[in-house]
Amino acid sequence: MISRRLNQWNNLKTWQPLIVAISLVMVVAILHKAHWELTTETSPLETWKGKTITKGDNETNINFPEDIGDSITFKGILMTSPKFEVYNNDSIVLGEYSKDEALVYDEDLYGKTIINLSGMRILVNGDLSGKFFESEVITVKAYVIENTSYYTENEQSITLNREGWEAMPEDIHLASDTDYYFFTAELIILAIGSYYSFSRIQNLRTQLRFAKHLALFEFGRGLKAPRMIVLGSFFTIFIVGIGWLLGDLQNSTSVFAVTSGNDGILRLSYFSFFVVSLAAIAVSVDTIHKERQSNTLNMLLARPINRETIVLGKALGLTMVVGVPAFIAQVLGLYFMTKAGEMPTIGSMITFLLFGQVMIFTMVTFQLCLAISAKNGADVVIYGLGAWLLFSVVWTLLVYAVSFAIGIDVSAQNFENDPEYQAIASRLALLNPGFVYQMAVGLFTHRTISIDFEGVPGWLLLLSLVLWPLICLRIATWLFKREMRG
Amino acid sequence: MANSLLELDKVQKDYRIRSFGRVIRTTKALDKLSLKVEKGQIFGFLGPNGAGKTTTIKCITGILKSDSGSIKIEGENIEDNSFENKNKIGFLPEQIGLYGNLNCIETLAFYAGFYDLDAETIEERSLELLKVLGLEKDSKRNVGEFSLGMKKRLALAIALLHKPQILILDEPTSGLDPRGVKALRSVLRDLNEHQNLTILLSSHVLSEVQEICTHVGIINDGKLIRQESIQKIREKVRKTAIKLSLRVNNYDKENNNEITKKKGISIIEVNDLGKHQQIILTLKEKQIPWVTNKLVSEGVQIFSIEPQDTSLEDVFMTETGGDSND
Repeated sequence: MISRRLNQWNNLKTWQPLIVAISLVMVVAILHKAHWELTTETSPLETWKGKTITKGDNETNINFPEDIGDSITFKGILMTSPKFEVYNNDSIVLGEYSKDEALVYDEDLYGKTIINLSGMRILVNGDLSGKFFESEVITVKAYVIENTSYYTENEQSITLNREGWEAMPEDIHLASDTDYYFFTAELIILAIGSYYSFSRIQNLRTQLRFAKHLALFEFGRGLKAPRMIVLGSFFTIFIVGIGWLLGDLQNSTSVFAVTSGNDGILRLSYFSFFVVSLAAIAVSVDTIHKERQSNTLNMLLARPINRETIVLGKALGLTMVVGVPAFIAQVLGLYFMTKAGEMPTIGSMITFLLFGQVMIFTMVTFQLCLAISAKNGADVVIYGLGAWLLFSVVWTLLVYAVSFAIGIDVSAQNFENDPEYQAIASRLALLNPGFVYQMAVGLFTHRTISIDFEGVPGWLLLLSLVLWPLICLRIATWLFKREMRG
Repeated sequence: MANSLLELDKVQKDYRIRSFGRVIRTTKALDKLSLKVEKGQIFGFLGPNGAGKTTTIKCITGILKSDSGSIKIEGENIEDNSFENKNKIGFLPEQIGLYGNLNCIETLAFYAGFYDLDAETIEERSLELLKVLGLEKDSKRNVGEFSLGMKKRLALAIALLHKPQILILDEPTSGLDPRGVKALRSVLRDLNEHQNLTILLSSHVLSEVQEICTHVGIINDGKLIRQESIQKIREKVRKTAIKLSLRVNNYDKENNNEITKKKGISIIEVNDLGKHQQIILTLKEKQIPWVTNKLVSEGVQIFSIEPQDTSLEDVFMTETGGDSND
């Protein structure tokens, strides 16, 4: 038994360091969780359930076991989006007692937010809309306070002596410094394990050299291709023009007005995706298919280059073909936008450019999947155009259709502000590389975009940004290798 | 025991027709094919259309993956270390695909990038090969302007660039004019004699195989039905089959069908000589009286019976029992 397990372990020689690293990451994660348990209250609902409500003739008392002024740092998940939990004259009826929130609505609550932290209600002295989103794990340092208010029940005036939990907006965080230390340690361990595992892959260096050779060849060839010259010129003019327009609209009072530099960069990311994704698909539309037709593929396959390396090399090369001109166009677009309007944050500009390249790589690998599986030239073009239309034009209609199908009234006024609609739209957005790009830029801008990522925590968004190209690359490789089996 | 450079053992390969990812039909391409190519041989790979020649070559070069069986180079399974083993192979496909916007030097540099060769070696080898293959003057011309013969020569240069141990050529002379065929034959013979390069070539031009190859393997329906030296094959066939030329009259299709129904008799060609017809056929010696009696009983007049030289084509026809025209 033991020797069989040892044999199995020895057969995994390449992946041993990664397996060890993942095991260590799990140990660190357990320590991290233990740290949370020791330093924070990870079951806010238990605290909330610990309250006692006593009702007298004319008074109601709500008490917690903790003393007034006591503070506890809670860690939990936001069950609802804070932006839907802000009190204002539209959202509450003054003088009404809310059993769920254990308070009486009054004017003092205007502008405050009652968050739902894993089922516990905490009153925050400020507006949290756009700062935190549904499903995010947050840390809240809250205090027990007491106050008295009055409400009417069965035409009888009742005094509410209430103890409750309150927090200041600055005491709410996504992660603490210690959390970041844990995350960094986990990342470093994973990186070391991956490095040693990859270094054990046979001829990895050679294959990567081949991928670079093929990528540079594709880059040189693709840049000279007439379609790229036309598309490159087109998207450069478009992005630069839109950049200038978005800068100019910051000084406008029209309905299309752009509110800030950050708002401008988010809109620019949408328009960049709109044209750059088309170029990425157009450039890679027939790459494998054409090579198959012209017999250059067989010449390549007979070399000592893996099929994985061919797909990687082609994907990198085609990404460079679109990515280099797109990068220049985006820099120019930003320049003209900031010249006419406000300067967005440095982080947002870096992510706009960096994630732009990731988005191009994703679209190229996505199209490679279609190009490899297509049976003829017409199919390849139709698939490519279909994918572009779906991701950049038809997506919103698709979201409306799905929302309608699950019972959301999409004909109602301002239905876009419906929490259910926003939740479904943001979740579906993870399936669209264009929206993932925009949301990722948004994450590093001010964590608010036209489609809020309700129910989509930041880590899931970043994971989606990484997984999209990796999964497309894996599928393209799998399809390409399947050809080998005949 | 001779040292096998290339050895295929019970290689099986099916082609699968898919619809929406599901396999809806399977066609057997190679049926437990086994063959051995020894060092220094020029091995001719013969077979009718669809016999599995190109599939075999694609499996050896790694373009396709066999379903079962083993392909070994110098005793090592090709898939165990495909990088090292692919370095031992030079491949010239039947359909040459080259990037038209590159010139010869750029083309060679591109393909050389997939081998462990430094820039100096690449340049030196490229110039040497272009000279040997007569492309020296055209080295700066774009490949898109090349004739098929020139493209074949350039593809051969690509195949030889990394000094392989075995050169695999799939129908190397297809599309070449007689001068091109002769030149290629001369280059191959030279590579074999002076550099001891082992060559495996598939061809439907049987005379070419007969002229250049030292050994022949005949494949039919995905199986290797014979593998021997050319000399031995000829001798064996001489013992088992005779080639005759009959000058006859009143010979028609029905006679043809009747005769070929008999096992071991193959009609190679029927020529109209105007007054008479000429039938060239292969058969066993003991079948001669049966054929003549059959023809005479059906009203065919026989004017002459002449023996013919047995060529590799006759071997091919006898072994595969089919048409050699690709």
